[in-house]
Amino acid sequence: MDADGFIQIEGLTKVYSSGPVEVVALRDATISIGRGRFVGVTGTSGSGKSTLMNLLGGLDTPSAGRIRVDDRWISDLSKTDLALFRRYTIGMIFQSFNLIPSYSAVENVAFPLLFADVARKERIRRATELLAAVGLEARGHHLPSELSGGEQQRVAVARALVNRPAILLADEPTGNLDSRTSRQIVRMLFDLKTERGLTIVMISHEEALLREFADELIRLQDGAVLSHETLRDRP
Amino acid sequence: MRASDYVGHAWANLWKKKLRTVLTTGGVVIGVGSLICMFAFGQGIQRNIKDRFNELELFNYINVTPRSGGGPRSARLRRHARPQPAGDPNESVAVLDDDLLEELTQIEGVEAAYPEMRFPAQIRLGSREQFTLVQVVTSKACGSALVQLRAGRAYASDDANEVMVSDSLLRRLNVTQPEDAVGREIEIRTVVLDFSLQSLARMAFGRGDQRLPVSNRVYSFTIAGVLERMGFGGPLPIRSDAFVPPGAAAGMRKLVLTGVSDLFQLPEETAGYSAVTVKVASTRQVMSVKASLEERGLRTFALMDQLEEMQKGFIIMDMFLLAIGMIGIAVASLGIVNTMVMSILERYREIGVMKAVGATDGDVQRIFLFESGMIGLLGGVFGLALAWAVSFVINQVVNGFAAREGVPFIQYFSFPWWLCLSGIGFSILVSLLAGIYPTRRAARVDPVVALRHD
Ligand SMILES: Nc1ncnc2c1ncn2[C@@H]1O[C@H](COP(=O)(O)OP(=O)(O)OP(=O)(O)O)[C@@H](O)[C@H]1O
Ligand SMILES: [Mg+2]
Repeated sequence: MDADGFIQIEGLTKVYSSGPVEVVALRDATISIGRGRFVGVTGTSGSGKSTLMNLLGGLDTPSAGRIRVDDRWISDLSKTDLALFRRYTIGMIFQSFNLIPSYSAVENVAFPLLFADVARKERIRRATELLAAVGLEARGHHLPSELSGGEQQRVAVARALVNRPAILLADEPTGNLDSRTSRQIVRMLFDLKTERGLTIVMISHEEALLREFADELIRLQDGAVLSHETLRDRP
Repeated sequence: MRASDYVGHAWANLWKKKLRTVLTTGGVVIGVGSLICMFAFGQGIQRNIKDRFNELELFNYINVTPRSGGGPRSARLRRHARPQPAGDPNESVAVLDDDLLEELTQIEGVEAAYPEMRFPAQIRLGSREQFTLVQVVTSKACGSALVQLRAGRAYASDDANEVMVSDSLLRRLNVTQPEDAVGREIEIRTVVLDFSLQSLARMAFGRGDQRLPVSNRVYSFTIAGVLERMGFGGPLPIRSDAFVPPGAAAGMRKLVLTGVSDLFQLPEETAGYSAVTVKVASTRQVMSVKASLEERGLRTFALMDQLEEMQKGFIIMDMFLLAIGMIGIAVASLGIVNTMVMSILERYREIGVMKAVGATDGDVQRIFLFESGMIGLLGGVFGLALAWAVSFVINQVVNGFAAREGVPFIQYFSFPWWLCLSGIGFSILVSLLAGIYPTRRAARVDPVVALRHD
């Protein structure tokens, strides 16, 4: 746990208030993550895992505390700069894949490049290349509904990587998949980390899977960090 | 995002929901189509009126009367050197005589200047009689290009004992071939106010129409030529059917009509011209000719002056048509708002994805605004096509009926290029305005909520 990690989370707190009821989803979390690490996050339902990930991904803003990524305090960024941060630094995958149903696999993968001002030909080229990297070169023109869950998640992984982000955030990416497919996906993430030097934060209920592939394991309980153990040291 | 990407993206999304796009665009097509139709109709009417005015050269005429108070009366007073009851006796008043007419013809841009003088008369040719207004016109004017000859020629001189008649009068006198009338004798019976003792006695003791203080004089003329019915008119030409030269007319006792005031003048006193019509070669010169006429102390009236009033009327008409057309536009824009709100609800998760992969609020809003604008563009283009098609059908039908009545074909609608362009532009503008509220909602979607798995 080095204090000058690639990702530095300090006293991060998120309070949701709906009417008179206040829910503390995240409570004074302090976490440091080194560059190129694969960090697993686990915890019971409602422990604040997704909240942490949304704050890390710049989709939400904290109630207190701050987050630094590399040399930028992202909790200080404006709305537009947060969008740019998501665009160029973060790639996200979700339990429910979140592919656009009317777009083919290639179009889904190429979609983020639309906002990055990349010309159409280059968009298609990069998307095709990434689909090959996740082993779906033959399925580029299929719609999400024509793909299996595992294949859809691989398309989502390709989409998350198309803008060449430094950090990949995965919120229960295997939640909708059987154990064999789950293992394939996590293995793929592990390989990507090794090949591309990605920093990965992955939320999962399956601790065994995390213990097999992750470098570190963070356990959340009631919005607080219960434990942060190192499974593997840096190579 | 590049502009071409916005367009391509918008087009792809609209194409995906063909039925909804067609229905929404259909609303815009009808709204914009009816608006353009209304405007095209307004433009058509205005163009027809202006064309008609230009064709009749109504804008080319200036009516000239002497200045000050009683108009023709003051001119006459000066001629007869009667003491004026009030005012400066040395006041210079232009007199509308032949010298002045000649002078007016010299003004740059003036094509012709002729006195405006008509008198009522009974015309007899053979056994048929017709009542009409006879106009006094110089032989010069009669021989000019202003006249469209049907047969014969203009009268030889201003003193010739000849007339020119219109083909329509001849028809009423039962002569169908204009050539047949040339050279024939015609009788003009004038009506004169008569306040002689004899006549007064008749008024007191007579019966029927004999009680009116009028008497008749009969003059004989030869028909020199036949022309198309026309008016040597001022701004609003009264069409005349018979024309006599001034020399011959001077010798006739008649009731001269140039204005209402003339009804109260005794014929002997009508020595000068009470009004003169000046025809200007080009409408562009009307204002300068008017100015130089007024410098000479004359009072002028030109329909050109009324053009501004007329245009105000046209603007009011346009506004009225616009107000009606706006109803359709209002309905169409509600349709757009509805479609956009629906589309945004459907693509709620997609908006979440857009934001997760780095779209700014502005990117999201612009993506949907382009869709909205595209509906406007399609609606505008097809609306224009619809307006054109509808106006074509209406034109054919109305002209079909009118043709049976012998009315020539009239284009009731006019589609000037600026109307077409601004119609499409307006359609896009309205669609963008209608898109503001839904697209702002899209931009404000919270990605955390949108992406939460269900
Ligand atoms: N928008 C919200 N408004 C109010 N409360 C919220 C909101 N989002 C999350 N919460 C609450 O915050 C707490 C943490 O939620 P979070 O989604 O981070 O849990 P989680 O660890 O991801 O759970 P799960 O494993 O079920 O996904 C929960 O008690 C949840 O009810
Ligand atoms: Mg969660």
